[in-house]
Amino acid sequence: MDKKILQAAGLTVSFRSKKGTVHKAVINISLSLAPGEKLALVGGSGSGKTTLLRALVGVVKPEEGNVALFGKDLSILAASDLAKVRQRCGYVQQDPYGAIPPGLSALEAVCEPAVIAGIERNKEKIRDRAEALLAELGLRGDRILRSRAVSLSGGQRQRVQIARALMLSPDILLCDEPTSMQDASTRGEVIDVLEKYAASGTAMIFVTHDLVLAGHAAERIMVMKEGRLCEEGSSEQILNFPEDPYTVKLISSIPSFEKLAR
Amino acid sequence: MLDIRDLTVRYNSMGRVTAAVNGISLSIEKGSFTGIVGESGSGKSTLMAALLGLLPQRTEITGEILYKGTDILRMSDSEMRDLRWKEISLVPQGAQNSFTPVMKIKRHIEEVLNVHSGKFGEDAEKEAARLLEDVGLDAGIKERYPHELSGGQKQRAAIALALACSPALLLADEPTTALDVIIQAEILELLSGLRKSKDLSIILVTHDLPLAAMVCDRLVVMKDGRMAESGTPHQLVNDPQHPHTKDLIREMFWQRNKKDG
Repeated sequence: MDKKILQAAGLTVSFRSKKGTVHKAVINISLSLAPGEKLALVGGSGSGKTTLLRALVGVVKPEEGNVALFGKDLSILAASDLAKVRQRCGYVQQDPYGAIPPGLSALEAVCEPAVIAGIERNKEKIRDRAEALLAELGLRGDRILRSRAVSLSGGQRQRVQIARALMLSPDILLCDEPTSMQDASTRGEVIDVLEKYAASGTAMIFVTHDLVLAGHAAERIMVMKEGRLCEEGSSEQILNFPEDPYTVKLISSIPSFEKLAR
Repeated sequence: MLDIRDLTVRYNSMGRVTAAVNGISLSIEKGSFTGIVGESGSGKSTLMAALLGLLPQRTEITGEILYKGTDILRMSDSEMRDLRWKEISLVPQGAQNSFTPVMKIKRHIEEVLNVHSGKFGEDAEKEAARLLEDVGLDAGIKERYPHELSGGQKQRAAIALALACSPALLLADEPTTALDVIIQAEILELLSGLRKSKDLSIILVTHDLPLAAMVCDRLVVMKDGRMAESGTPHQLVNDPQHPHTKDLIREMFWQRNKKDG
């Protein structure tokens, strides 16, 4: 095996409804990621972005094709080995409401991955790291750190979730719309933190509509439509010179000041 | 058509008083498309609730909201009922989830027509079909249940519902959240088109400054219950005055700044 962190070949994922109809959410997608490489997945609702992301960490099983993480084929891994592979992956879910254990405070939720993984036993060290991560993401002060998920806003929960995903310094971070609930002022902090980790060598895949995030933090963009790959290229190329008509429509639909600015 | 004068709204929760809206003065011209832009907690939704007389009872309100010369804040309940739907109508935040799941789309619209326009039976059903067509939906949608519609279709249906009694002023509170960017652009285009075809004035409430800048002819930026700045999108983007607006613009140009610096 070479040094690829992630390799997926010919992935097809289908869902079967109760009536027996088959919906192919992801159709024949292949991608690979080297250490430190950053990829953005863009596309409309229902284009299969989230399903693809879930398939890449083995949460949904592909009907065809296979995924290898750190050179290990997920389909033949024993559960205990899969758990080890997953410890090296950070995953930020799209819906931060269901992603944080309701009984834990924000700080406890961020500490939890380290406690479960058992890599660090010193509770104070774990706490310090969690606090530092939360602070980088703009969450400071006892009141917020002690809050449970229910009393945090969507944007705050999303940042708690990002801190949780970064807690074990993953080799790869998969983010599903990580800035979707942020106000303009906190969005910058989130992008800064993601960029910092990307620069330090963490490979990343973002599902996003945020073209600033896609264009700046990712080197490559894959555009998906109805489960298929529609266009792929460098961020520069996709954002400035899209070729596929769907990509053109998608990019031009995104609100931007560029048209207004002098 | 709408003149807000020195409006302050204070919520009193267990002895703690919070001014959600703090001394806002704002005029909305007939036929205008105004974007009210602010982050969470800036007072946008409170302002909308005040326009519809929907603030909780023990809220302290001072100032005036003159709609066609009459102060909304001093209207009786029955006057308010005549104002809602027929003069000022709301597409609520999360409108896609505001439909009753067990009622067909037509019943939602017919209900409003029954109560507020006195239209019944076949008249109401025909009107519902016409309204759905006005927002770019197939009239057959009226026979469907909410869950049978896509997010974009539901948003269009919610706009049709808000237009049921031909209001003069439409308030749209975050009308494109949870929609993808292509559908979002279509909804904004629909609102722009309806403004002209139905002679509507529209107030768009959003946290998304670039989005509002795309479609509105005037933007009002709110911060902590106050009006930070207002002007045309062109003015605000190219020559922002208030520090908060400057921050917002800078955040949006983040990519460019980073590249420069």
